[in-house]
Amino acid sequence: MTLTHLTFILLLFLTLGIFARTTVKYIRLFRVTKPAFPLKNIPARIRVVLKVAFGQSKILQRPVIGFLHALVFWGFLVILVGSFEMVVDGLTGQERSFHELGDVYDFLTAATDVLAPVIAVAVIIFWIRRNVFHVRRYDGPEITRKSHRDANITLALIFLLMLTLSGMNLLYLAYGMRTGRMIYGSFPVSAAWMPAFLSGAAPEVMTEYYRILWWVHILTIFFFANYLPYSKHFHVYLSIPNVFLSRPYPMGKLPDMPEVTKEVKAMAGGEEIPEEGMPDVLPGRFGILDVEDITWKNYLDSLTCTQCGRCTSVCPVHLAGGVLSPRKVMMNTRERMDEKAPGLLKGVGTDDGKSLLGVYITDDELWACTLCDACVRECPLNINQPELILGLRRYQVLEKASAPTEWNTVYTHVENNGALWKVSGADRMKWSEGLCLQTGDGQSRKIEVPVMGVLLSRGHTPEYLLWVGSAGAFDSRYKKVIRAFVKILEYLEIDYAVLGEEETSSGDFARRTGNEMLFLMQAFANIKKFHGYGIRKVITCDPHVYNTFKNEYPDFGEALQVIHHTQFLKQHLEQLTAKAGKTFFGEKKVTYHDPCYLGRINKEFEAPRQVIRAMGLKIREMPRNKANALCCGGGGGQMFRESGHGENEIFLQRTTEALDTGSEMIITACPYCMTMIGDGLKYKHREKEVINMDVAELVAGRLGI
Amino acid sequence: MEIIILMSVVPDTSVKIKLTADGLPDMKEIPWIINPWDELALTRALELKEDPGNTVNKVTLLHVGPSTHGQVLRKAMAMGADEAVRIEATPRDSYETAYHIVAFLQERAFDLVLAGIESSDYNGAAVGGLVAGMLDIPSVSAVTGIQTEGDKLHVVRETDGGRETLRMPLPLLAVVQKGIAKEPRMPSMRGLMMARKKNIHVIEPGAVDSLTEYARFELPPPKPPCHMVDATNPGELLELLENESKVIHLS
Repeated sequence: MTLTHLTFILLLFLTLGIFARTTVKYIRLFRVTKPAFPLKNIPARIRVVLKVAFGQSKILQRPVIGFLHALVFWGFLVILVGSFEMVVDGLTGQERSFHELGDVYDFLTAATDVLAPVIAVAVIIFWIRRNVFHVRRYDGPEITRKSHRDANITLALIFLLMLTLSGMNLLYLAYGMRTGRMIYGSFPVSAAWMPAFLSGAAPEVMTEYYRILWWVHILTIFFFANYLPYSKHFHVYLSIPNVFLSRPYPMGKLPDMPEVTKEVKAMAGGEEIPEEGMPDVLPGRFGILDVEDITWKNYLDSLTCTQCGRCTSVCPVHLAGGVLSPRKVMMNTRERMDEKAPGLLKGVGTDDGKSLLGVYITDDELWACTLCDACVRECPLNINQPELILGLRRYQVLEKASAPTEWNTVYTHVENNGALWKVSGADRMKWSEGLCLQTGDGQSRKIEVPVMGVLLSRGHTPEYLLWVGSAGAFDSRYKKVIRAFVKILEYLEIDYAVLGEEETSSGDFARRTGNEMLFLMQAFANIKKFHGYGIRKVITCDPHVYNTFKNEYPDFGEALQVIHHTQFLKQHLEQLTAKAGKTFFGEKKVTYHDPCYLGRINKEFEAPRQVIRAMGLKIREMPRNKANALCCGGGGGQMFRESGHGENEIFLQRTTEALDTGSEMIITACPYCMTMIGDGLKYKHREKEVINMDVAELVAGRLGI
Repeated sequence: MEIIILMSVVPDTSVKIKLTADGLPDMKEIPWIINPWDELALTRALELKEDPGNTVNKVTLLHVGPSTHGQVLRKAMAMGADEAVRIEATPRDSYETAYHIVAFLQERAFDLVLAGIESSDYNGAAVGGLVAGMLDIPSVSAVTGIQTEGDKLHVVRETDGGRETLRMPLPLLAVVQKGIAKEPRMPSMRGLMMARKKNIHVIEPGAVDSLTEYARFELPPPKPPCHMVDATNPGELLELLENESKVIHLS
């Protein structure tokens, strides 16, 4: 055994030793966290890994820079085999140990030879973007000097790896050709470059340089391997595991809280608390105050985060100049875990007077989130930032009862009268007063909106329940949408009914603002009604209701078929377009604003567009549309909060974007969007010339009913 | 120091009360809430209890009403009250309510009693004053601020065009007004679960004669529909204000 050989073995074991220590450290930190979800459905997980990790599908949402990253990723995968070979070579004292792979080896070496310079160039471009062009998303108040240093060190190390690799290939090929030694593998790029670089070099010099490059390369790998887990580039290891461990539920579903569910179920089941009180063991903390309350998945997300800032760059609150940055939430979580967990694990020094909530992430940040999930959709590694924000909200609401005043008021209304506003449940059917259907020839017939309870007493169960919603019943603007939609239902002679005075809030507002208890109270009450009336299909004009009924209610009762009114209209397009001509609206220019909870979150982009097009209208798309659509600013409880960032406010940004298409009609399909865009138009004094309309109104208008 | 809150349970303020066939208020299927003024009084009492700068260490709810109000009492305890006493009676007027409260308070020691200025159901605005009078203890009405100072209290009340601060001895009954607390406290999930463990002491009422006889209940006339005047037509607005609603006089 030569000294070099021994040195290599020692260094390898040192590297592996440090790596093992790091691994143990992180595994221990995970012990602080809470369970998230069981690991099921492995085939589906593998498919996600193939698509999102290996296919780089989400990073390619930004095609140019995404492709460069994808090249680096794919290059790394190939080069990794070569690095492994070098380790085997080093251990065995051989050279090119894998050459017996034959054609595969030729392919691998050729790919490496091509990709190494490609990666080197990509890395230079990345460096220029960061240090010369100062791409905005790489910076922000949460970005420290360490973040920039991590990035530059990583880029430098990769560059060095690629440089040494290319150099080795060049020298190996040249040496073989000069001395006639057998050359294993294929090196197309090196072959092309060789004459320019190595025309006159002596073989002994080449061997010497080769050895130096080999050592620099392998030592860089050893250092890199142990540097990554302490840098912001941990994703090099964790990206594939994090994608593999993606949440097994739809984007629009928020995680349940079993302990709260149990409690509310007992209350909803009519469990009377005797006046002498009842002995009870109280469950642990609700929601997230500090890192011991997060799930392993939240923590894995935070370790995986590369601080690329894509999430923050699309966050409506951030774009409006607000305090929220989804990236910061991830960074804070990782930082706080590093700070607190060692003490927790030792069982000492757990109270340092700090916590994730309050010290790291302030109330202002967590209240500001619209839960539009733009960040979730944007993250290349399937990180979910709002889930953590929701956890913090849950703590504030369920443990501290310290939601913003406006939300507390709404909670009171929801609890006492089942609506988001201070209204009387007895007025729930007022929206339907004086509703008539124009039957043609100047004739009209009065519409008596059928009510479930009444129909049941006559022994009839209608096919559809129409969920009117608080906005439909009480918002003066949205009442018109429900009225228009009911006319369409009557026109189509659909067998439907509403719950009437029995209807209450879906609980979506409560859940998204952190009031799980109130959400469950509504959910159980509603599910009981669905069950009691034998309701199987629900139509709603509200994407938030649609989302919560479709994705969240099934956890607490039977799954219903939930239909958004635009989907319903699409299904009946043939009947709806049979009569009227296609020119009703003339050449009106229109744009369509995708509601987050219909579009991005539930991926229904086409139904509303098809209906609009069937009305003879051409849609002028906004720059940010479909999955990239900007939130109206009303979700996540924001409609009931004062935001106040002046001209930059989310609803104004979105209204401006819509107006910039030159449209005379802005079409939406959500009560929140309707209010926000409507307010935007009024703010800009454009409400006279630009109409804000729902898809249902469009159809009813064209039918002339 | 213990603070006793005289707590009334009332229909939710968004409910539109209907009359039954025999002309009485129909109280079936009505969501019940803590009387808003009492809720503010309770909030202030809890703030004082949580403030280490004074000696308030217990907040007790005192309610006269049927067992169906138990849930609302439970909610008030979830806000943070330590104990609740419910006097099993369905009083017909302020005097009856006050009578039961006084009977209970005469039998026990107390320091500070807070009563909302009125309850939002019958708006009698009499219980606080009646209780103080019958107990023969000092009372201050329309209180909008309470601070403790040793065994004395600083009580703030709004006067016409100003405000006065009184230093009051204990025991005292303060009839509190809106402004006593910024906004009512919400019960937390944790609070609700803690409240399940707390007791509601039920007291049998003494016999009392009601002094009131209700002759008749009437519903307010329905609101006339809203008349929208176009912004470009101020003349019409002036015309309506002068002749229709008669609030201005144009000569």
